[in-house]
Amino acid sequence: MRKINRVTAFALAGAATLALAGCSTGGGASSSLPDGIPDSVDAKGETLTVWVMQDDYSEATLDAINEEFTERTGAEVDVQMQPWDGISTKLSTALGTSTPPDVVDIGNTQVAGYATNGALLDVTDYREDLAQGQTWLGGLEEPATVDGSLYGIPGFAGNRAVIYNKTMWAEAGVTEAPTTWDELTAALDTVAAANPAEDFSPLYLPGQHWYVGLQFMWDHGGEIATQEDGEWVSTAGSDASLKGIEAWKEFQNTYSAESSRTVSADKPEQEQILADGKAGAIIASNGSVTATLNANPELTEADLGTFALPGQNEETQPVMLGGSVWGIAAKSANPELALIWTQIAVNPDIQTEYVFGDQGLMPNSEESIEAVEGDLSEVKAGFFQAALNSRATPAAPGWTEVEGANLLQNLFSTVASGAATPEEAAAAYDAKAGEALK
Amino acid sequence: MSTRRRLHRPSPVATTIALIFCVVWAFPTYWMVKSAFTPRKDALTTTPSFLPLNPTLANFETAIFQAGFFDNLRSSVIVVTGAVVFAVLLGLFAAAALSRFRFRGRRQILVLILLIQMIPGAATLIPQYLVFNQAGLLGTYTGLILAYISSTLPFSIWMMRSFFLALPAELEEAAQLDGASTWQVLTRILFPLVLPGMIATSVFTFINAWNDYLIAYTFMKDQSMYTLPVWLASFSSPLTGTDVSGQMAASVLFSLPVVVFFVILQRKLVVGMSAGAVKG
Amino acid sequence: MAPAGIVLAAVTLIPLLVMVYMAFTDYNQRSLFTGEYSFVGFAQFTGILTDPEFWASFVRTIVFTAALVIGSVVIGVGMSHLMTRLSTTMRTVTTIVLVFAWAMPNVAASLVWNWMFQPGYGVMNWILTQLRIFGDMTNTDWGADTGLAFIAIWLLVVWQAVPFIALTIYAAETQVGSEYIEAARLDGASEASIYRLVTLPFLQPTILLVTILSVIWDFNVFNQIWLVSKGGPDGSTSTLGVFTYITAFVGLDIGAGAALALITALLLGAITSVYIRNLIRSGEDL
Repeated sequence: MRKINRVTAFALAGAATLALAGCSTGGGASSSLPDGIPDSVDAKGETLTVWVMQDDYSEATLDAINEEFTERTGAEVDVQMQPWDGISTKLSTALGTSTPPDVVDIGNTQVAGYATNGALLDVTDYREDLAQGQTWLGGLEEPATVDGSLYGIPGFAGNRAVIYNKTMWAEAGVTEAPTTWDELTAALDTVAAANPAEDFSPLYLPGQHWYVGLQFMWDHGGEIATQEDGEWVSTAGSDASLKGIEAWKEFQNTYSAESSRTVSADKPEQEQILADGKAGAIIASNGSVTATLNANPELTEADLGTFALPGQNEETQPVMLGGSVWGIAAKSANPELALIWTQIAVNPDIQTEYVFGDQGLMPNSEESIEAVEGDLSEVKAGFFQAALNSRATPAAPGWTEVEGANLLQNLFSTVASGAATPEEAAAAYDAKAGEALK
Repeated sequence: MSTRRRLHRPSPVATTIALIFCVVWAFPTYWMVKSAFTPRKDALTTTPSFLPLNPTLANFETAIFQAGFFDNLRSSVIVVTGAVVFAVLLGLFAAAALSRFRFRGRRQILVLILLIQMIPGAATLIPQYLVFNQAGLLGTYTGLILAYISSTLPFSIWMMRSFFLALPAELEEAAQLDGASTWQVLTRILFPLVLPGMIATSVFTFINAWNDYLIAYTFMKDQSMYTLPVWLASFSSPLTGTDVSGQMAASVLFSLPVVVFFVILQRKLVVGMSAGAVKG
Repeated sequence: MAPAGIVLAAVTLIPLLVMVYMAFTDYNQRSLFTGEYSFVGFAQFTGILTDPEFWASFVRTIVFTAALVIGSVVIGVGMSHLMTRLSTTMRTVTTIVLVFAWAMPNVAASLVWNWMFQPGYGVMNWILTQLRIFGDMTNTDWGADTGLAFIAIWLLVVWQAVPFIALTIYAAETQVGSEYIEAARLDGASEASIYRLVTLPFLQPTILLVTILSVIWDFNVFNQIWLVSKGGPDGSTSTLGVFTYITAFVGLDIGAGAALALITALLLGAITSVYIRNLIRSGEDL
C-alpha cells in the first residue's frame, strides 16, 4: 500500500506542476494577422467556430451570413447557440484556452471586461474594412472601444420605448401620443382617471427596472459613472444624478401601482400586466410587443402604439442602447477568417435584409436605420425614434460585475419603495459599485 | 417486519396529520404537473384554477421539440451512466482500502476526504477547468464524467466505508481459512454485503450529475453535447421572457427519470443509510 | 487498485492542489487569458477575514443553516414516528408523496418555487391572500424582502430535505426491538415515554448522521438561494456559498474565491469536528 501511495504522490506532484505551468504559458494569436480584410481566400477544409447567444440571431440571418462566407473562403462555419445563464464564466474560461471560439456574440456592455484583460482581438486596424462606409451607432461602438482601441464590431441595437394600449388610451380620451413631458403626465392622469381600479397603473414601471432609472438620471444631467484620470468613479450620489433618482421615484410612485415598487420587469412579466389591461403602458424593448400580443390573443397590433419617453430637459429621454457586438478571440487560430465572417455579418445588406427585415431588430448603423425607416410599422417607429437619443453604459471593465451583482436593481427598487432615501441608496450603491469599477 | 409494525395501531389523529402533511408536501409537485398541462394562455391568471381545465399536451410538444432535447438527453444518459458506474466502482475500492487495509496516514486521509466534501463547488470549477484543459479532457464526455465522479467520490467513500466497517472481520478470516484469495474475499463476501452503500452512492452521483448546469455548460464545447439542465435553462431568456407552461412541462420531463430511479431504489437506499449509521 | 487510485487522485486532488495554490495568488480574469499572476502570500486570506461582508455572510450562514437543519430534522423525525402509526395504505401514500418531493431535481424545484411565489400570478401569493391573515399578498415579491426571501428558501430546502430524513429514520425505527417496546408497555409506560426512553436512544446514531449530513449540505446550499433571491435584496440573503459564487464567477476573482472556499471548508470542519473525531475513533477501534 505504501508503495502505491508514493507512486500516487509522484503522479500528483508531476501533474500539478504541469497544470500550473500550463496556466502561465500565455500567448497571443497563434497565426499572423492580415494587413487588411481580403475579399476572398482559399480556406477550403477549415472550420470557423461562432458562438451566438440564444434568441439573438435567427437561423435565416445566420444562414445568409454563412452562405456568403463559404462563397468567399470555401470554409465551413460551426455555429453554437449558447444559453444566457453562466455565459460570462463560459466565455472567460473558453477565451483563455488555446482553442477558443473564433467569433463570439457579446452584449455591448460586456466588451470592456474581456477587452482590457486581453481576451479579444484589437480590431482598430480593420475598422474601415469592417464599417464598410457606415456610421455605427455610438451606443454600440463606444462601450466596445476601450482606451481608444476597438474590440467589438456592432451587430444590432436594442432600446426601450413606451408601449401603450392605444385602444384603452383612446377610450380615456387620449388620441395622440405625447411628445413633451407635460403632455405625457397629462395623458397619464387622464388614463388614470378613466381606470380607477386600485391596482391599475397608467404606466407600469417595476422598481427594479434600472434601465429606465438610468434614463431619468441622464435626463437630469446625471451620470452613473465617470472617468477621472483614467480611473472609473461611481457617481450615483452626485447632485445631478440624485435629482434624476428623485424624479424617477416620483414618476414611479405616481403612475405605477404600489405593488410594482419592489418587483422586477420579468417577475411578474410586465408584458402580461399590459396584456391583462392592468396597465395602460410599459417601458420595454422591441420584443415586448410580440410578447404582449402572445399574452393576450384578443389584442392585435392595431391596439398597441409606441413612442419615445419625452424628457424633462430634452425632447426625448436619453435611452440606454443595448445590443450585441461581435468579438474575435485574441487566441483565435484563424483571425483572418473570423474578420471576413464578421465583415459579412455587419454589412448593410445583411443588416437591412435580415437583421431588420427578417428579425425586426434595429440595424447597427445610422445609414441602415435611414434605409429601413420607410418600411417601419407603426409599432416599431417609437423604438427607432427613441434610439436617436441614446447612451451606453460605462465602458469600464468592472461594469460587468456591477450588473452581475444586481446593484442597480437594488438602487432603484429601494428608492422606489421608500426603504431608503435617494441619498442613502446612492451612497450604498456608490460604495459597492466604486469597489467593482476599480 | 409485519409483526413489528403491528406494535402500533393506526390512530385517527395520526392519519389526519399525515393527510394534511401529504397535501402540503404533494402540492408543489402537483402544481408543477398541473401547470405543465395548462395551455400557455391560461397559465398566468390572477385567480389560479386548481384543476387542469382544458388540459393540453401542447407544452410537452414545445418542450420536446425545443432545440436540443434529444441531443441533450443522450448526453445526460451517457454522462450520468458513466459517472454512476465509475463512482460506485472507485468508491468501493477506495472504501475497501481505507477500512480493510491498515497503512500509515489513513486517519489523515479520512479527515482530508471529509474536508474536501466541505469545499464549496463554486471554487473548484475554474481550477478543474484549467487542469482538464491541460489534460485535453474539455469538451469530452470522459472529462465531464470525471468531473462528476470527483465531486461525489469523497462522500461515496465515506458512505461505503461505514458498511465495510460494519462487517465483522471474522467473516473474512473464516473465508481466508477456507482458502479464498483476497480478491475472492472482496468480490464474493464483502461486496454483496455493502450493496446498500453502493445504491446510496449511485443515487447521490446520479442526482449530482443529472442536476448540474454550470460544469456541463462550461466544460462542453459542442451544443449537442450539453446535458438536459442546459436545455431546461433555455426556457427562460432575457429577450423573450419565460414560457412558464413550457418550463413546467420541461421540468416534469426532467424530473421523471429521477422519480423512477428513486421509486425503484428508495427502500433499499434508506434501509442502507440507517443501517450503515447504526452499525458504523 | 493502483489505476483506480491514480485516476481518483488525478481528477480530485490535482484541481484541489491548484485551487489551494491559487488561494495564495492574485489569479483573476486577466490571468485566465494571459497566464500572468503573482504570488501574494496570505493577502487573500487577510483581505477576506477583515472584510465585514464576509463576517456578515458567515453569521447569516450559521443562522440559516441552523434554521434549515432544525426544521428538516424535527419535521423529518416527527414524520417518521407518525408513519409508524398509520395504516399500510396511508403509509404507502405518505411514502410516495415523500419520494416525489425528494426526487424532484433542485433545479426543477427552484423553477417551481419561483413560479408558485411569483408576484401577481403565484399560487402561494393567492392562497395567502385568501387566508386574510397577512393582508393582500397578491403582489408580494418574495425575493425583494430579506425575511420573506429566507422563508421561501427555507420552505424550499426543507421541503426537499424532509423526505430523506423521514424515510431514513423510519427505516431505523422499524428496527427497534419489539420486545423492548412490549416490555415497556407491560410496565404501564405511556406511549410518549416509550418513545423517549426506548425509541429515541435507539435512533440516536441515525439522527446524528442525518443531522451532520444536513449541516454539511445546508451550509453550502447555493442553487436554491441563487435561483430564488440571488443573495438579495442588497446582499441580505447572501450566505458563504453565494459570497463565494459572486467572488469567483461574477467578479472572476479566482484567487480570492479559492481562499474563501478554503476558509469555508475549515470553518465547517471546525463546526463538525466533534463528530468527525468520534467517527474516526470508532473506525480505528475496529
